[in-house]
Order: sequence, then C-alpha cells, then structure tokens
Amino acid sequence: MLDALQNTLDGLFNGTAYALLAVGFTLIFGVLRRANLSYGPAILFGAYAATWLSQQGQVSLLLLGVVTVAGTVLAGAYVERLCFAPHRHGAPLAAMVASFALWMQFEEAATLLLPKHLYDFPALWSGASLSLGPLFLRVETLVLFATAVAILGGLWWLLHRTRFGTAVRALVDQPVAAELAGIPAARTFALVFALASAIGGIAGFLISATFQQVTPMLGMWSTLKGMLAMMLGGLGSLPGAVAGGLLLGLVEAHSQWYLGPQARDLVAYLLLFLLLALRPEGLAWWMGRWTRTRSAS
Amino acid sequence: MSALLAVEDVVTAYGKIEALKGVSLEVAEGSITCLLGPNGAGKTTLMFTVAGILRPKRGAIRFAGTEIAGQSPHAIVSHGIALVPENRLVFPSMTVQENLQAGAYARDDRAGIGTDIEKMFTRFPRLRERAGQLAGTLSGGEQQMLAVARALMSRPKLLLMDEPSLGLAPLVVEEIFSIVRELHKDGTTIFLVEQNAHLALKVAHHFYLIEQGKVTFSGTPGTLAEDEVIRRAYLGSKA
Repeated sequence: MLDALQNTLDGLFNGTAYALLAVGFTLIFGVLRRANLSYGPAILFGAYAATWLSQQGQVSLLLLGVVTVAGTVLAGAYVERLCFAPHRHGAPLAAMVASFALWMQFEEAATLLLPKHLYDFPALWSGASLSLGPLFLRVETLVLFATAVAILGGLWWLLHRTRFGTAVRALVDQPVAAELAGIPAARTFALVFALASAIGGIAGFLISATFQQVTPMLGMWSTLKGMLAMMLGGLGSLPGAVAGGLLLGLVEAHSQWYLGPQARDLVAYLLLFLLLALRPEGLAWWMGRWTRTRSAS
Repeated sequence: MSALLAVEDVVTAYGKIEALKGVSLEVAEGSITCLLGPNGAGKTTLMFTVAGILRPKRGAIRFAGTEIAGQSPHAIVSHGIALVPENRLVFPSMTVQENLQAGAYARDDRAGIGTDIEKMFTRFPRLRERAGQLAGTLSGGEQQMLAVARALMSRPKLLLMDEPSLGLAPLVVEEIFSIVRELHKDGTTIFLVEQNAHLALKVAHHFYLIEQGKVTFSGTPGTLAEDEVIRRAYLGSKA
C-alpha cells in the first residue's frame, strides 16, 4: 500500500510533465489538424540553448528558464513558417513529413552546438525531498504541479475570456465560418504555435532542471510522450490531454515498480492500444459523459 | 441605383476544373439580388470567391469602387461584406452569445458590439432565450437565425446569403424570408443564392441565372421569362 502511494507521488512528476507536453501538442493539433513531429525537437533546441549558456559561467536559473522558453518559441516559429504556414490548405501529410525533416535538423544543430552525449543542467532544487509521514514528495514535483495548474488556469482564461480565445475556438470549431467572421486565420495559427511552444518550453525547462541533465533524446522523448498522452486523452481535447498525461505518468510509475523498467513502456503502449480499440475517443469520452450526466441531472 | 458589387469576368478553378467560367454580374446598392441555378452551377463557388475564401484565377471584383478580388476573407469582412454560408456553419461548441461575439471579430468597439448583440436579441428573440446555450444544440431554423445574426455583427453593407432556406421547414423558411425583407428595409443590400426559386423571385428586385459556371440569363421578376427561368433553375437547361 505504501509502495503504491509512493509510486503515485513519483508518477505525478512525469504525469504532470506529460500533461503539459500533451496540452501543447493538442493546441496545435486542435487548431491546425496537423501533427507537429518537431514539437519535442523545438524544446530540445530551447533546452540546449540554455545548457550552452550555463556552460559559459554562472547564470541564474530564471535566466535559463527564459532562454529555454525563448529558444523553444523561436524554433517553433521556424517550424510553423517552414512546415505549416505553406500547407494550411490541404497536404496534411506534407506538413507532418516536413516537420520530421526539421526534427532531424534540430537534433543535428543541438549535437553540433554541444557534441557530448550528456550535459549537466543546473538543479531546480538542491535540498531534500519533503517527507509526508513515511512518504516522500519531491519539491520539483510541487513546483511543476503548481506551474501546470497556473498554466492551465491561464490557458482556460485565455481561451474563454479573451478575443484571441474566441478566435482560436472558432477556428477549431468551424474554420471556414471563422474566416468568414473576419478572423485572421494565418496570424492566429502563428500565435497558437508560439503559445504551444512556450508551454512546451516551460515543461522542457522544468524537466531538464529536475533531472539535472540534457541529452539529444529530449526531443524524441517530448514528442513521443506528448503524442501518446494526447492520444490517450482523445485527439483535440485539452482536458483529455491533461488526463492522458497524468494517467500515462501514473501507469508508467506503477508498472516500473511492479513489473520492472523493461515493462514500463510496454504497459504504456498496451494501454494506448486497448483504449484506442475500445474507446477511440480517448479519455475525453468519459469526461464528456461525466459532464453530460452532470448537466442532465 | 449604382452597383455596390460588380463582378467582372471572374474565373475560379478547383485545380484544373473551372467552376466559374467568366461570370459577370452586378448587385445594385439597396437591392435584393438573387442568384438562381441548378446544383453544381457554381453558386456557392461565386459566394466563396466574393468572400475571399476562394481566390479567382482571373477577373475583377469591385466593392463600392474598390478592387477586392484575391484579398483575404478578414480584409473583405472589414470592407463591409459578410457571408451567411450554406448549411449555416455555426460554431457548435460555442454558446449563442460567443457566436455573436466571434461575428464581431473584425471590430474593436467593445461598447458598440454590446449594443449590437442586444439588437440581435431584439430582432431574434429566440436567440436571447438561448444566449447561453451551445449553438450545436439549436434547431436548424435557430441555427440559421444565428448564422444571419453572426454575419450582421460585422455591420455589413452587403449581406451574402447562400441557400438560407436549405433543409428548413416551410414555416421557418417564411420566417427567414421575412427577415430578409426587414434587413433590406433597414438599408442592407442583399445578394441571395436560392434553390427555392419561387420564394426567391417573390423578394428579389433583380435576378441572375447561372448554369455551368456562366450567367445565362438576367432580369426582373414578373416578366414573361420567369417560368422558363424557374424551370431551368431547378432542372438545368438540358432537361
């Protein structure tokens, strides 16, 4: 029982990180109906820019965070201009393949900038974990969780209480009608891309500073985990993406403990397979049902 | 009456297939002008070309003297043209109120937008009752009213309407057409695409018949040619 609780607390860190990655992914997928494979590699670019800076001397953690986010947004804008802006109408496959090409570019650029396989990243927190009775909770988990709650709250506000949010939701709902209503689609897409990249950058920074290391695998890891969590949640649903991320993190933590690290990814993909086979709408289906029954009663 | 909208020799193509093969027509300021024609004649293509969703391959489109062909949809909306699209295309997971706000996207006068939403609720009382409801849960007729109200939120000088009666019950169709008349009375110029030719010719001042991407007839309702036009609008000239 204690093990199960401790696993849950440990899984919360990865789960929250996956949730943030999936939210960024979902924003892009929901608005553009295009999968951006370069989403993770753009984060890698930002994290490497910050790592490079930290190699040059004493730099504050806050500045490293800002550099990671700025680098990710810059790389994201590059991806948007090259892969997505030209293929806004039709050719979804071309956009996806182009984003794969940029993935390779970012990995190459990262390894050219910092050629070793592994670099230290300054620690987010160098003190001890908090103890809750017999359980331990990492301070990093708390920081990440609080940041995620703030980001999700801010995102909700942005999407439901601002003019920009109206534009985004209208484009998701009915793209042709949105353009007819005078919503500038190209500009809104570019802004959504920047927003999603910024969220990815924040996640990337907190992940790197928690594990205190970066490798060129960060790009692939972020894309895979983000996409997996997004698919678990049901494509295009933001609450689904959050639920999918948390579920993935928890399932990974438990299966690693009970079945061993080799089984961890196997269990995660098995879960995705089962969910897609039984409920292709993902977790969003259950949440939809929950809200439906709640409003009916 | 001068032409508010002048379409000159417009060609619009999907790949190599030309859906409009040199269309020319005019919509007089203050008029209700109607475009009739059988399925696949190019009516929706023309509407989308004027609204900027499709770019013409050739030809000129002038609105109040300004060339607008090939401009982006949001630029065209800010000139004062709004399209109520075929099948209404409301934003289903947004509330009625939010749909109206989205329609005013091109404007930035917050107070004016609020007053106009209130005006829409007065004109369409059903929408006020459903203000907080998701648009996807409205009936077909209510969605059509919402689509009209949403288009009006941009304060258009020219309102384009593509098949507003499509799939609606006769009583609701009557209601939509009485709204068309009211809007016209309030000074909005209306360019209407309609399959229901009988109904359209009752409200229109002028009509065009389009067949296979070309304007083949134009005239004023009430003339002798009307029966022939109606037959061709429904069946095409080869029937």
